[in-house]
Amino acid sequence: MNHLLRTARNSALPIIVLTAVGTLIYFFAEAYQVRIAYAFFMNLVVAIGLQVFMGNSGVVSFGHVSFMGVSAYVVAILTIPLALKKTQIPDAPFGLGFVQFDVVTAILIALAVTVAFAWVSGLLIKRVSGAAGEILTLAVLVICYVVFNAWIDLTRGPRSLYGIPIASSLPWAMLASAFVIFVAKFFRDSEDGLQLRASSENMLAARSMGVRVERLRLKAWVLSGFLVAIGGVLHATYLGTIGPNSYYFTQTFLIMAMVILGGMRSVSGVIVGTALISVGSELARTLENGPMVFGTKLPTMFGLTGFFLGAVIVLCMTLRRDGIMGDDEFEDVLRNRRASKAAKAAADTAAQAV
Amino acid sequence: MEYFIQQLVNALSVGSEYALLALGLAIVFSIIGLVNFAHGELITVAGYAMFFAAATWLPNPWLALPIGIGGAALAAIVFEKVAFRAIRNASTNTGILTAFGVSIIVQNVFIIFVATRPKPVQTPDFLSSMITIGELTVPTLQVLETVVTTIAIAALLIILKKTTVGMAMRAASKDFMAVRLMGIKANWVIQSAFIISGILAGIAAVFIISRRGAVDPFMGSVPVLKAFVACVLGGLGSLQGAVIGGVALGVFEVLLQVTLPQEITAYRDAIVFGVVGLVLVAFPQGLLGRKVELGDKEA
Amino acid sequence: MLELSNITVQYGVVKAVRGVSLKVEKGEIVSLLGPNGAGKSSLVSAAVGILPVAGGTIRFEGTDITKKPAETVVAMGLTLTPEGRRVFADLSVAENLHLGAATRKDRDGVAADIEKYLKMFPILGERYHQTAKTLSGGEQQMLAIARSLMSRPKLLMLDEPSLGLAPRIVDRIFELMLDLKRDGLTMLVVEQNATDALGISDRGYILASGSLVYEGDAKAMVDSEDLMEAYLGSGVH
Ligand SMILES: Nc1ncnc2c1ncn2[C@@H]1O[C@H](COP(=O)(O)OP(=O)(O)OP(=O)(O)O)[C@@H](O)[C@H]1O
Ligand SMILES: [Mg+2]
Repeated sequence: MNHLLRTARNSALPIIVLTAVGTLIYFFAEAYQVRIAYAFFMNLVVAIGLQVFMGNSGVVSFGHVSFMGVSAYVVAILTIPLALKKTQIPDAPFGLGFVQFDVVTAILIALAVTVAFAWVSGLLIKRVSGAAGEILTLAVLVICYVVFNAWIDLTRGPRSLYGIPIASSLPWAMLASAFVIFVAKFFRDSEDGLQLRASSENMLAARSMGVRVERLRLKAWVLSGFLVAIGGVLHATYLGTIGPNSYYFTQTFLIMAMVILGGMRSVSGVIVGTALISVGSELARTLENGPMVFGTKLPTMFGLTGFFLGAVIVLCMTLRRDGIMGDDEFEDVLRNRRASKAAKAAADTAAQAV
Repeated sequence: MEYFIQQLVNALSVGSEYALLALGLAIVFSIIGLVNFAHGELITVAGYAMFFAAATWLPNPWLALPIGIGGAALAAIVFEKVAFRAIRNASTNTGILTAFGVSIIVQNVFIIFVATRPKPVQTPDFLSSMITIGELTVPTLQVLETVVTTIAIAALLIILKKTTVGMAMRAASKDFMAVRLMGIKANWVIQSAFIISGILAGIAAVFIISRRGAVDPFMGSVPVLKAFVACVLGGLGSLQGAVIGGVALGVFEVLLQVTLPQEITAYRDAIVFGVVGLVLVAFPQGLLGRKVELGDKEA
Repeated sequence: MLELSNITVQYGVVKAVRGVSLKVEKGEIVSLLGPNGAGKSSLVSAAVGILPVAGGTIRFEGTDITKKPAETVVAMGLTLTPEGRRVFADLSVAENLHLGAATRKDRDGVAADIEKYLKMFPILGERYHQTAKTLSGGEQQMLAIARSLMSRPKLLMLDEPSLGLAPRIVDRIFELMLDLKRDGLTMLVVEQNATDALGISDRGYILASGSLVYEGDAKAMVDSEDLMEAYLGSGVH
């Protein structure tokens, strides 16, 4: 209970700030700005979801975007109206061509399916440690992508599925990210989270904990899969149309840059990173399309966004490996500020006393 | 029988390609513990080097081959100097992510300055010809690929066994500090490893490009994924493991291609990766991997 | 020949060596003694350039080598046989020796030296094509020393050459060092085995908790029971 309260207090600041900004945008900004804000909150959910695994276990995962894909596809397949389904995936297996669920049920099923998938894949991932394990996460990404493309009867293959009822909007994305921030911080400071982080920093400690580390890693993997799945739901229910390319390398780059720039060991760091990368890639996208600057049209430069993300990752790794926030959460920064202020004040009084 | 031999040649050639790439990854990994995500971009650079050479001042497809290989080797040197040197003693994670970033940058540089669309590249005609021996007809390319790979591996073995730099590389994979105590420059050993990995990738690139006839910015990503998997399958960091893992993967892929019903072949890569994942659960260290002990370089 | 002045070595915030000054003159054998964790290995590692120094200067034959990396220092003639042998386990004895000579260009000279050290360490000749990991501990130490010698150092630093070896082998190694001295090699020996080390040394230094606590003539040190008890925890029996 105590831990719940503390987490609530610690996550209040970012949640309040994000909600305030989101609300302002929702009521006063232009439609395209609302869309950008929605994308930000959705990516925030995915990035924090990824942080729950990477930040605590210290293992890099390239596979998480697949969880987004799995849940998005499940939602899509379960909610697309029957008439549309008949034209898109007439041969859907398991009789899925003839069922349609309401959005809430579909979302719950999607989350359950993704969690089950995360659990099964986690059983493999937890066994293989180090770089080999990280390569395996890459295999998860590729396997899912191949299946999305190849299982044409179910997913319509490389072509997009459309007609998903649009049930989400900016407030939902804000709510989801508040929930995800809370859960991520809760896990980070829980007994399990602390132990997992300790094990990732110290190989010896990890060895002595043995089996327990594997279990904790699995736990973090499944939990983060669940959170990323929420991101997938947000994606499908907002756009109304999805395709396999949304859940592959491009999205992985984006999320990875967000997590790394802010600092993968800190939830607050991921929030900062997501905000910066969102702004940065939006700028890059504008430049990409050859905007007008002082009356001259700049040439189009497709690839600039990707270049920007790659550069952020490389520069971060060479210049500031722990990201902007390192191990600190917002509350740590505030506390340190307060502590150093208090120390300074104490020093001043001491100086005056002399 | 004829069909069997054709498929065998096919399997060996695919396996050779993976082995070449996996070897390059393994050499670099064994020495500095870097999982070089950007290895695939060496293929891409080789491809564009061939494309530019052909398109501009050297319209002779024969020259395209050394230019491709040289381009890959040069790119390997540049990657090392510009990016990987700065993170040399950092953790595996830092390495894998840096390399990931380098890979994204290179892909997008080609998108920005060339195009996303594939560009055609000409290679010597005979590479697309067929060899007929009695009843049997097999593509020249496939035979050459296996032969050249065998030669390259033999040459690598000689380098590792007989030259100072080769011995130093083998020694450095276990104890880099002691190698420096021999007065051997760390940069020299590491750069040599990158050059070798570049040359091997360049050779693979020549074959890959001959087969596709075109280059595009993402052409390196699928082969490098396969090479990763081959490395992990053989035991990350083991050179023999890389070769065996590569060949095994190639044979397995062709086997699936041949035996699976048509509608399932689209899932080939998913099945391959899935099976490798299962193998690793049984052998977490890979088929030839050794158990890593505390205090060893993290594998 | 080697002059360390005011050297500090740090691991993060922990100081392993605090402002130590030490000298080795041409032709000497000098002992560097001290209990576990005193900072002996840290000091010699810094001297050869595999650890960065946090403060102080290192001069070798008059040249400032403080900032020079190990590979340069070794090529100049200052070499370290590291603690715990660290032979290249997967390489053969022959390959180990060849790598030792990596800085040299004179092929004939290298061949002659190999010949010479195989005579000095006959066991290495018998095991010439075996991998180093199949050698015994004592044999590996011989190999490690021979490998260092292959670079033709002017000054050889040995970090605990007697560690974990049987007394008979230890005697062999100390005898060998005297032979090497006669051939004109200068040596700095890190040892826990104080009595034996001082027995072959000209001078000695004692390091404790990262600081120099004593320096002086080797003979006088062996004779001073107080000193031996106080710092090295081993009386002379
Ligand atoms: N890599 C390292 N990281 C952190 N601290 C270290 C490291 N190596 C040594 N130390 C610390 O530095 C101090 C000096 O260690 P050093 O190995 O130089 O001692 P030593 O005199 O050689 O001991 P021994 O006789 O046991 O070999 C010790 O307190 C040790 O714990
Ligand atoms: Mg020591």
